[in-house]
Amino acid sequence: MGNRQRPVKREELLETMESRFGVEPRVAEDGTVWVSIDSEHLSALLVFTKRGGFNHCSAISVTDWPADEAFELTYHLWSYEEKVLLTVKSRIDRQEATVNSAIPLWGPSAGIHERELHELFGVEFLGNPDLVPLFLESWDGPPPFRKDFDWRAYVREAFYEEGNPHEQSYWD
Amino acid sequence: MSKVTGTETMREGNRAGDGFDLYFGPVHPGSGNFGVKLTVQGEEIVAARADPGYLHRGFEKLMEYRTPMQNAVLSDRLCILESLNWNLVHAEAVDRLHGTEIPERAQYIRVIMAELSRIQSHIIWYGVLSKALGFDTGFMVAFGYRDYVLDLFEFVTGGRVYPAGYLCPGGVRRDFPDGTEKRIRDLLVKMETMIREFEAYNSKTIEARCRGIGVLTLDDALRLGATGPVLRASGLAADVRRDSPYEIYDELDFEVPTREEGDAFARSMIRQREIEESIKIIRQALDRLPPEAVPLVKPRVSGKIPEGEVYVRNEIARGEAAVYMRSIGEDQPYRCKIRGPDLLHMIPVLEHLLVGAELADVPAIYWSLNICPADMDR
Repeated sequence: MGNRQRPVKREELLETMESRFGVEPRVAEDGTVWVSIDSEHLSALLVFTKRGGFNHCSAISVTDWPADEAFELTYHLWSYEEKVLLTVKSRIDRQEATVNSAIPLWGPSAGIHERELHELFGVEFLGNPDLVPLFLESWDGPPPFRKDFDWRAYVREAFYEEGNPHEQSYWD
Repeated sequence: MSKVTGTETMREGNRAGDGFDLYFGPVHPGSGNFGVKLTVQGEEIVAARADPGYLHRGFEKLMEYRTPMQNAVLSDRLCILESLNWNLVHAEAVDRLHGTEIPERAQYIRVIMAELSRIQSHIIWYGVLSKALGFDTGFMVAFGYRDYVLDLFEFVTGGRVYPAGYLCPGGVRRDFPDGTEKRIRDLLVKMETMIREFEAYNSKTIEARCRGIGVLTLDDALRLGATGPVLRASGLAADVRRDSPYEIYDELDFEVPTREEGDAFARSMIRQREIEESIKIIRQALDRLPPEAVPLVKPRVSGKIPEGEVYVRNEIARGEAAVYMRSIGEDQPYRCKIRGPDLLHMIPVLEHLLVGAELADVPAIYWSLNICPADMDR
């Protein structure tokens, strides 16, 4: 995959994304580029960015929007050659949260972020062979970073006793 | 899930030739709160599996319940070994959402403190690497010198290890107390003496144990997500301070040391050179430090964070640190993703380097990556 890369300049990147993918990239005040795309075309856009020289997958993240029934994926990509920071955003269905793994593009550096997000948000990354839990041990509850997981209630239930006079303040 | 201890596994080890399982950490004196499960055949490591999570505190979720000033204090704990640097990444994310212009003097103070934090972190690394190599003198020397830096941190921030969010949204919590400049200049002279001492030890200790060990090629470094000194030791001159400057870094003259070998020795030399570069940066910043007459912005104690999203990257001692912050106009951030260099260095990079290595080289490889379980687990 390395030989087909050709770093693209910021202007070319913006133009090509607009013409080929029909998206509207936004350049923020700090110079970073932001683009949203529907999940159907996400993989194609990510392939384009990798071939365009975004050789560093800085991070992958998920933002939970329960009211919209959606997870928003954000891919934070950096081009070492052109020194451009690009964030690609895409929303997927919260109930059937599946998306293609970015391992074919960025290798284990993407895989480890996906493994974390699978554990903490419950997103399924198709093609990632290693989605075993990363941080939590013996955890059988819901993915804890979802907005509808109330960790304060969980801690109270799991570690404090209602009716114990010394722990009453946690229940008041 | 029950964990099997190293000794039990040794006793019940597979004698059919698959080797033995050995745990390096999580209670190994040199491992930090982190372990790696090694499968060894004789002296050779044939498989390595990282075992993280012992320091997982759920910071990203905790921050969704707290205001930026509370989170500034929380950001200390992202890495015990370089808390001021993490202060800065978090503060910049909030600043950019607010569109706050930081007073110039506060920017200089931020850079000076962040660079001192980098030096201090590299000193710990030198000490722990020495300890891991069985060179206790290096450990003692390094931790002795580290205390001089901690004295200064205490003088300026009130905390030796945790500055309680000294570099906070809006600027810094308070100005340098009287006499700080002189103290920092004196400290830098001590740091130079320390480097000469390190150099005197290098050939007999670090070079003997680290040369040719744990070689990471540039292709692998990119594929595995290495950043910072680990990436630069494999030949790529990438440094966020130079490639996308923040604060006042674009006004400063400093070099980005690189080496080609990609081994544990190269990574060690890079960090020693970086201490010298940080000294250079701090001297320049002190020379140009705007006068105190410029008032510092009071920390923004409360108030809504304007709606928006930012991804802020900084170069910390270990590599690339970043915060993705999303606000929907509430007092607390809606989402705060923290990207630390060590998730990549401690899992994909470490596992890759350990396979095929000799058992005796594990500590050298492990500490040549200068890893910090706190910012990996978060």
